[in-house]
Amino acid sequence: MISSTETPAIDIRDLRVDYGNFVAIDDLTLTVPRGEVFGLVGPNGAGKTSTFRVLTTLLEPTYGEVYLDGVDILEDLESARRIVGYMPDLAPVPSDLKIWEFLDFHAAAYGLGTKSQRRERVAECLEEVALTDLRHKWCKELSRGQTQRVVLAKTLLHRPRVMILDEPASGLDPLARRDLRQALRRLADQGATVFVSSHILSELAEMCTSLCVMNKGRLLASGTAEQVRQQLGSNERTLTATLLGRQQEAAAWLQSQPGVHRLQLAGEQVVFDFTGSDEAQSDLMTGLITQGIRLRTFEEKRSSFEDILVEVAESNRRP
Amino acid sequence: MSSESALSSPSRPSSWKPWANPIFRRYCRSRLRPRGLSVWLLVTLLLAGFLFFLCRTIALYQAHLSPEDAARVPLIPLLILQTLILFVLGTAQVSGGMTAERDEGVIDYQRLIPMSPMAKVFGYVFGLPVREYVLVFATLPFTAWSLWKGQVALHAWLPLYVVFFTSTLLYHFTGLVTGSVVKNRRWAFLVSIGLVFCLYTITPQLAKFGLVFFKYLTITPVLEECWSGLIPKTAGAVVSSVQQLLPTAKFFNLDFPEAVFTVFSQAGLVVTFIIMLARRWKRAESHLLGKVWALLFFIWVQILLLGNALPLVDSGNLFPSRGFARFARLDFAWEPNRLETVGMSGLYGLVTLMMVFILGGMITPTPENQIRGWRRARKQGKTSLPLFSDVASGSWMTALMAVAGAVGWYIFSRGLVESRWFPGHLVPLSTLGCMILVMLAAGLGFQFLLETRGGRAVGLATITIGVAPIMVGAVMFSIGSWLYTAASWVVGLSPLSLPLYASGSLLSISELPPDFERSVPRAFLFWLLVAVLVTLWQLSKLIAARRALARRSLEEPIQLKS
Repeated sequence: MISSTETPAIDIRDLRVDYGNFVAIDDLTLTVPRGEVFGLVGPNGAGKTSTFRVLTTLLEPTYGEVYLDGVDILEDLESARRIVGYMPDLAPVPSDLKIWEFLDFHAAAYGLGTKSQRRERVAECLEEVALTDLRHKWCKELSRGQTQRVVLAKTLLHRPRVMILDEPASGLDPLARRDLRQALRRLADQGATVFVSSHILSELAEMCTSLCVMNKGRLLASGTAEQVRQQLGSNERTLTATLLGRQQEAAAWLQSQPGVHRLQLAGEQVVFDFTGSDEAQSDLMTGLITQGIRLRTFEEKRSSFEDILVEVAESNRRP
Repeated sequence: MSSESALSSPSRPSSWKPWANPIFRRYCRSRLRPRGLSVWLLVTLLLAGFLFFLCRTIALYQAHLSPEDAARVPLIPLLILQTLILFVLGTAQVSGGMTAERDEGVIDYQRLIPMSPMAKVFGYVFGLPVREYVLVFATLPFTAWSLWKGQVALHAWLPLYVVFFTSTLLYHFTGLVTGSVVKNRRWAFLVSIGLVFCLYTITPQLAKFGLVFFKYLTITPVLEECWSGLIPKTAGAVVSSVQQLLPTAKFFNLDFPEAVFTVFSQAGLVVTFIIMLARRWKRAESHLLGKVWALLFFIWVQILLLGNALPLVDSGNLFPSRGFARFARLDFAWEPNRLETVGMSGLYGLVTLMMVFILGGMITPTPENQIRGWRRARKQGKTSLPLFSDVASGSWMTALMAVAGAVGWYIFSRGLVESRWFPGHLVPLSTLGCMILVMLAAGLGFQFLLETRGGRAVGLATITIGVAPIMVGAVMFSIGSWLYTAASWVVGLSPLSLPLYASGSLLSISELPPDFERSVPRAFLFWLLVAVLVTLWQLSKLIAARRALARRSLEEPIQLKS
């Protein structure tokens, strides 16, 4: 859990969501400080969308407390709705409105000043998502990526303090993804908190200052990408030592060291899996040299973030 | 974007100014685009103009009416056109539009916008059918000209158009509720048109059988009242003399103009619909009506049914045969038929039972809701659910409704039987006990089943126990008189037949045909006993199921399912 001294932007305590006998979220406790771009990762059915729907007041939880910027969303629904900006998965748009009309409607619904002030704000948001040229186009005529950007513009309109974005990057081309990343960073710099989910995991790691991983309705890990990797128990790495002779002796010595397993000899290389701290790994290297073994190279390969999450997803499928 | 602006708090849009309501304005924008509107406008003007000129020229040149009378002739055809546009097209648009919002997925955005639930309801109810309003406004010049040239008095057309507007609201709210409940766009469209058709044509027919209140869901009573002032004066005089014979709107000892009472009756329903929609806008998971409101609504309808019906008993205007006798000019020797009186009492019981089913179903929590309620209770350290919350059992309120309904049924039956038409006949208090048993057995049996087993089981039971026996019985009746006894036993199996059988068996005026004289009372008592036993068995199942659910949710650890 991420700790903060000031009121956190999102504070979830003991959240539970049931659909009949199915538990979608199981006692989730999570804090997101202000100004973060916080990522939520998990396989299908992990509880991401349910979490987002609770945070946006669209789903009443079975129990638990949720505070957005200090506002209890179960007690003060309307204030919570002013604070939050929500971009749902698949980003639906009405088929009977043009882009500017769709945005103007939302600007009016959020009470964003006079007509000219609203127009100005709509123009700003369209600029932000690079859709100014298409403002007179019908929403139903947009491509998937353009639709995503329109809905993102709608989400930005009322300058929400907390933005909940469900899969915002899906359907975007690489350029648009980069722009989205930059836009989210900019918003965070301005004091907004962005809570975002994605299946493009490497991208989420790039985009977010922190992230958390959910599986089967439970929070598995949260923190920076590195902290998450460690919390998920992926301290294991594959080490390859390329030696100038005495491979058998080196292998025998390594085998006797704690944390070393699945050792293999491949020509002048000794390949083995190692579980332990960075210090222990350093000691291992020093030990080899102390044994008089001439070490040419020593390579480390950690499991990628992708691998870890695939593993999580696989465990989700298992009964 | 500055950091200051990023944290700014927007103001709340006004709730009560329709022109400033963002949802209304959004639909004005999308539904009043010149391209789409112009075609509809052209068609409407063409139709209105056609009706106006055709009626007027026929009146002037074929019927040789005076210019003043001829000007009045197009009024009713124009009203029919306006009714079709707003009642049928408008209602379908409201329910279809609402479902479309959910279909497209944009309804979540509308849930999140910081407008009050009421503002959202009004935005939709006036915004979705805005094109139909414009089309009706486009026909108004023809109406205005006819009123002006026809010198129609204000008191003749104003009540009619006020009720036309309240009926429009009632039907549009019906459509909005349908759109909020029915998930498929095409179904919502069809169901809403079906509902309007039902509300306008079938339901008011109940008024002819003693349930006078139902005719006030339409503009018909007001149209009948204003009719003479809207048609040519010569015909108007005849209609006016006929109108003297028609009953006026009576509510217990009070007399009302038809328009006032219609507005009063419709307003109650409109308020109930607004409450339903506001609840749904606040929380999508909410029941359409809260438990207390459902009970109050039920009692309110009972009071209206009784208040409208009882004052018409002594004059004989409540009885359907009186209407026939009047038209056949035989009413000088008219007296109510005993069988029709018993039928009216049974029909009252049946309609009341249907209301118990509908409202009881509305306030019954699903097993999912109950589990949520119990788990929340566990978290809060409680061992019971709040009595009036959506997650609490709907049985208590259904029982109260059933008892209130039985009391209403008893008062109605007593009003009929103890009237001047049947001297010496009384309805003893023990009949009330039996009526309460009928309502409790059928109403609670339905509600217990719904709460324990869910909607699918109730649907299956309705078909197999509710409808099928009546169908089988009908076929048996049609075979021959030798099967009448068996058929009455088969029909009696259906809980829907219990109120009719009860009236036939319990009221002293009942003179059943010889074929049914013995079988109906016996079948009634037997099936009532069975219904009571089955309901008690259902009650034990419900108690056991609720206890098990509570125990599982309060004590046992909850297993995760993948």
